[in-house]
Amino acid sequence: MKTVHFTINGETYRREVAEHKTLLHFLREDLGYTGTKEGCGAGECGACTIILNGKAVNSCLVLAAEADGSVIETIEGEASGNTLTEIQQAFDRNHAVQCGFCTAGMVMTVKDLFRRNAHPTRPEVIEGIEGNFCRCTGYEQIIEAVLDAAEHGAAEEISARDAGTTKEVSDA
Amino acid sequence: MLHDFLYHDPGSMADALSFLREHGEESTVFSGGTDLFVAIRAGLTMPQHVVDLKGIDELHSLSWSDAEGLSIGACVTVNDLVESAIVREKFPVLYAAGSELATFQLRNRATVIGNIVTASPCGDMSSPLLVHGGQVVLSSAAGERKMPLGEFITGVKRTLIRSDEIVSRIVVPADWAGAAGGYEKLKRIKGHDLGVVAVAMIKSSAGFRVAISSAAPTPLLLPDFSPTATEEEIRKTAQEMITPIDDVRATAEYRAYMVDVYIRRLMKSLEGNT
Amino acid sequence: MLETVPASNLTSVGHKTRRVDSIEKLTGEATYVSDMVLPGMLYARVKTSPHARARIVSIDTSKAEAMVGVRAVITGHDIGYKLGLYVVDKDILARNEVRHFGEGVAAVAADTLEIAQKAIEAIHVEYEELEPVLHPKDAVKDDAPLVHPDLESYSYMEAAFTPRPGTNIANHTKLRKGDVEKGFAESEWIVEREYTNPSVQHVPMETHVAIVQWGKNDQVHIWSSAQSPYTLRNLFAVAFELPHRNIRVEVPYVGGGFGGKAGIGIEPLVALLSQAAKGRPVKLTATREEEFSLLPCRSQLTYQIRTGISKDGKIQAQEMTMYWDSGAYADYAVNVTRASGYSAGGPYEIPNATVDAYTIYTNKPFGTAYRGFGHVEFFWGLERHMDLVAQAIGMDPLEFRLKNTLKPGATTLTGEKITEHTGNITACLEKAAEMVDYGSVTEAEKAKAAAQGKKIGKAVVGLHKAPAMPPFTATTVILKMNEDATVTANLTLTDYGQGTYTAVAQMIAERLRMPMDRVKVAFESDTDRDPYDWQTVASKGLLLSGNAAILAADDLIATAYEDAAQVLRAHTRDLDHDADGIFLRHHPEHVVSWKQLAIGYAYPNGNGIGGPLVGVGRYIAQGLTHLNKETGEGSPALDWTYGAHGMIVAVDPDTGEYDVLKVASVFDAGRVINPDAFRGQAIGGMIQGLGTATVEGYIYDKKGHLLNPSFTDNKIPTAKDIPMEIEVFGVETPQVDGPFGARGIAEHSMISVAAALGNAIQHATGAEVTHMPLRSEDVWRALNRKDAVDNWITKSPLGSCKSAPELQKYTCD
Repeated sequence: MKTVHFTINGETYRREVAEHKTLLHFLREDLGYTGTKEGCGAGECGACTIILNGKAVNSCLVLAAEADGSVIETIEGEASGNTLTEIQQAFDRNHAVQCGFCTAGMVMTVKDLFRRNAHPTRPEVIEGIEGNFCRCTGYEQIIEAVLDAAEHGAAEEISARDAGTTKEVSDA
Repeated sequence: MLHDFLYHDPGSMADALSFLREHGEESTVFSGGTDLFVAIRAGLTMPQHVVDLKGIDELHSLSWSDAEGLSIGACVTVNDLVESAIVREKFPVLYAAGSELATFQLRNRATVIGNIVTASPCGDMSSPLLVHGGQVVLSSAAGERKMPLGEFITGVKRTLIRSDEIVSRIVVPADWAGAAGGYEKLKRIKGHDLGVVAVAMIKSSAGFRVAISSAAPTPLLLPDFSPTATEEEIRKTAQEMITPIDDVRATAEYRAYMVDVYIRRLMKSLEGNT
Repeated sequence: MLETVPASNLTSVGHKTRRVDSIEKLTGEATYVSDMVLPGMLYARVKTSPHARARIVSIDTSKAEAMVGVRAVITGHDIGYKLGLYVVDKDILARNEVRHFGEGVAAVAADTLEIAQKAIEAIHVEYEELEPVLHPKDAVKDDAPLVHPDLESYSYMEAAFTPRPGTNIANHTKLRKGDVEKGFAESEWIVEREYTNPSVQHVPMETHVAIVQWGKNDQVHIWSSAQSPYTLRNLFAVAFELPHRNIRVEVPYVGGGFGGKAGIGIEPLVALLSQAAKGRPVKLTATREEEFSLLPCRSQLTYQIRTGISKDGKIQAQEMTMYWDSGAYADYAVNVTRASGYSAGGPYEIPNATVDAYTIYTNKPFGTAYRGFGHVEFFWGLERHMDLVAQAIGMDPLEFRLKNTLKPGATTLTGEKITEHTGNITACLEKAAEMVDYGSVTEAEKAKAAAQGKKIGKAVVGLHKAPAMPPFTATTVILKMNEDATVTANLTLTDYGQGTYTAVAQMIAERLRMPMDRVKVAFESDTDRDPYDWQTVASKGLLLSGNAAILAADDLIATAYEDAAQVLRAHTRDLDHDADGIFLRHHPEHVVSWKQLAIGYAYPNGNGIGGPLVGVGRYIAQGLTHLNKETGEGSPALDWTYGAHGMIVAVDPDTGEYDVLKVASVFDAGRVINPDAFRGQAIGGMIQGLGTATVEGYIYDKKGHLLNPSFTDNKIPTAKDIPMEIEVFGVETPQVDGPFGARGIAEHSMISVAAALGNAIQHATGAEVTHMPLRSEDVWRALNRKDAVDNWITKSPLGSCKSAPELQKYTCD
């Protein structure tokens, strides 16, 4: 067993974890963060994508033990109260959600994309989400949602939150 | 779901190497874990100890010096590599191959050296590092040894690494730094896939260097070609040296054909470069 | 119903509307069975067979049973039940003999997943390996080993199926229309070809998962990632001989189904583990690898078509023979065979026809329902065939199709008459052709492709499907008004991404004249609380449940009008309603609000009349019949949805690599209820169709081991694999009995996509591929007239551009 400290969506945790347990299972089973899903357990499908110390990763291939001292972002930290983020709102507007199982991983991948590229082109969006399988939508409405989110200032909203300000982000 | 193992997080090379000296036989060293944990989950390997190298600062170093060339530490991820300006400028074939490896999320964790040590015949980093003369540096409590990458990989998923050793870095000499290069990889889909067959090629004033993966048990470095070598010569040598197989991904025949196609494409794209 | 209401009169139906279930999925709050944990819950693992066929000599579970934390261990030996909807042939765990690679042999329930995993590793099974029968054509030979020697003893739905005991044929569906011999005799040309496609997996993002608690007095509580709660309950009751009231099935959010979760799956196994573990709840989550081998896939098909064509290009006769390789079990597959059998000729008029469709057992993972229910598989062959026939007779493939499409007055293979309300396949084909500029390739298009060393090819293909379901399929929707005049609808049609709940909400909002945000469709399904629906399959949900929703709304309105008539001292005929309440038409200021009526009306003095407003809508398919087992004659089709795809590809004639430049999909949806959901189904299905066309397929070795049981070698499309341009269009020929005239398109979007690809590639380069998938190597082989790759499933025995010997008057270069 190892004692790990980390923050998840800004909240602090200190827990004991079995050394061989993956971060995905630790989040889901020990801490109740079931928003992030398991699609394959082998780093192929992206359903388990979270952001670890500022990088989008497949949590099924990270040990909880490795994440000691880390800053973790999961889907549960996105909306605040009844206010969805620009990414979430754009997904909703554009019918980018069907069965919903790939959605959490997809949204976190897109969040990470916006941190690196505030206004991606369509090819850049496609490249950006390539590591996330979706079996339902055929990707088109997801791509449109991401482009729509960009137009609504999704990247700017993320920067503002990262900077700790709560200023309103106006539409671009 | 992984079997029971103990996790170790040494803070220094000395700690890591002394642990391996004692427990190397039952341990596996890792950084990204993207090959290791897949293998453990599949029951292919069951180490008692996994040793995380990420706590060792010096292993994260990706640096260039005119004397030595590019030094890639054990914990340098594939994304670190492709995001490096030096790599894009001086080693375009490393950049091209790295960009093709798995998915973006995976590249945030997977390391260049991890890919080499796994030594899959279809590894994306091996053939580009071979054409650039990559040298593997192995560290143990007993000291250091260095060898060309081609010598280090001995067979399908087999290398000369000893149980008490870590590949601490790969040195990519300055000899062909700046050479124009390209990487062509056959996939079954346009999205992420392993290389069904792949060709890495660079062209410098010294000539052409070509390496091929997934066409032999190990990545294959062809003999050096002079700057005036013809396309026919390189194609012929390639066909003579590759030993592709039939498997679920492709037939030997198609692999051989695509190696030929890729050599033609790469030569065409490198025309006019010195 | 309501099919003639003009679009301009509608405020909800036909309008862009957000989905009713996106938010909770976007925030991570939606709970799937894979997320659920119950008090005292145990974790299950299954020990699976490494052999395709073997006798189980012995199973030693003693070490597993002795492990601390193991609460139940069962083997097939303990289980006397078999499962099946159409033919009861499925063992819950292998008994005496394993019939496919990956079949469950033993199962364990333990305190933790890790203990369960160690326990199954400690179970020792001794096998006597037997020679498997793997190829369907080998399975029908006289000396083939029998996968089910006891086929005679299995019960089955006699109205629909014909098994052949003593063989590996689980079912033979026959259809005989007109006189084929006469038709062929009158033909100018006869073309005969064979087409094949492999098994593929549904790949829902959420693998199969179930929690079952077998409580005291045989009260069984099931939570499952399933498509059909009532069918699950029914099959469970039948299999275990329990009263229906003992079984409660709950289905929360489901992470994709595509047919793989249509019926009953792992629930009985999990139930038996719970029963053996003293009634504690047990959860089994399939790993992705188990999803590929323990759980079912889509049957493989070999489809032979022989067509006779008249001098002016009209089909005179067609002989269709289908060999469905359904693997080790055939329950759903026999219905796929039957449903494909009566649909096999496509949306074309065929005056004389025979269909012989066989469901064949082999020792491989078994096929179940899969989006399209056989149609994706056979339309590959059929729509390739239409092109090859056109080529043989020297006619343009689109012209050939248009000449032969079913038009009002024609009859289908089963003798059903086409009317002007059936749908318009001709309009679909013409529109798809227009959307890809079929028949011309501009100089600009050519130059762009040539710059990459590629050649352009274009194709237009047709498709049709009717729901494959019992002719008496029914459903109910219940609608309740809440105190604040919002409404809640309950139904057990499930929504695992299709958007049907949103469409249902739109229809209810439309009838109640309320905004959408006042309509809640209760998401989770519970057989104790929600009314019956047959299954969420077959693209019938929108039609049947939409109608039921309209009827439920109308029923609630009628009840409310009764109450309002009393309050307003009026006749119900003189009342009308809007979002706020019910009013007297000629004195609209006389109004009683919905809120006043919602839970009963209270007079100022305290008297109460009326009561809580509830509407019940039940709807059953009307006028459909069984098929005659000898001739196939009958009226099986709830509705026919026609469609077409136009496709443009750019192919490298040297390497076989290709890019899909554009796909335009057109469906006669009757009325598009929700444009974005329509587009979502159209594109989602089309991409799944491209996956099956370009790369998906099970690959076995000669001993029946599945060689690609994971995403490493069993690929599906990613965002980079979509066409460069996608367009979708809805033709609207109203379905008379569809809700507001609508028909479903859920499966249709996947059908014929593969054929469009094969045809377009052939158009571009001449490469003729008659097997699937079309990887670049497969195209390369066809370009070079090489034999197809033999991986036990995809090889077409006739090779490329060769004719069967018995062909008449057909030549190729």
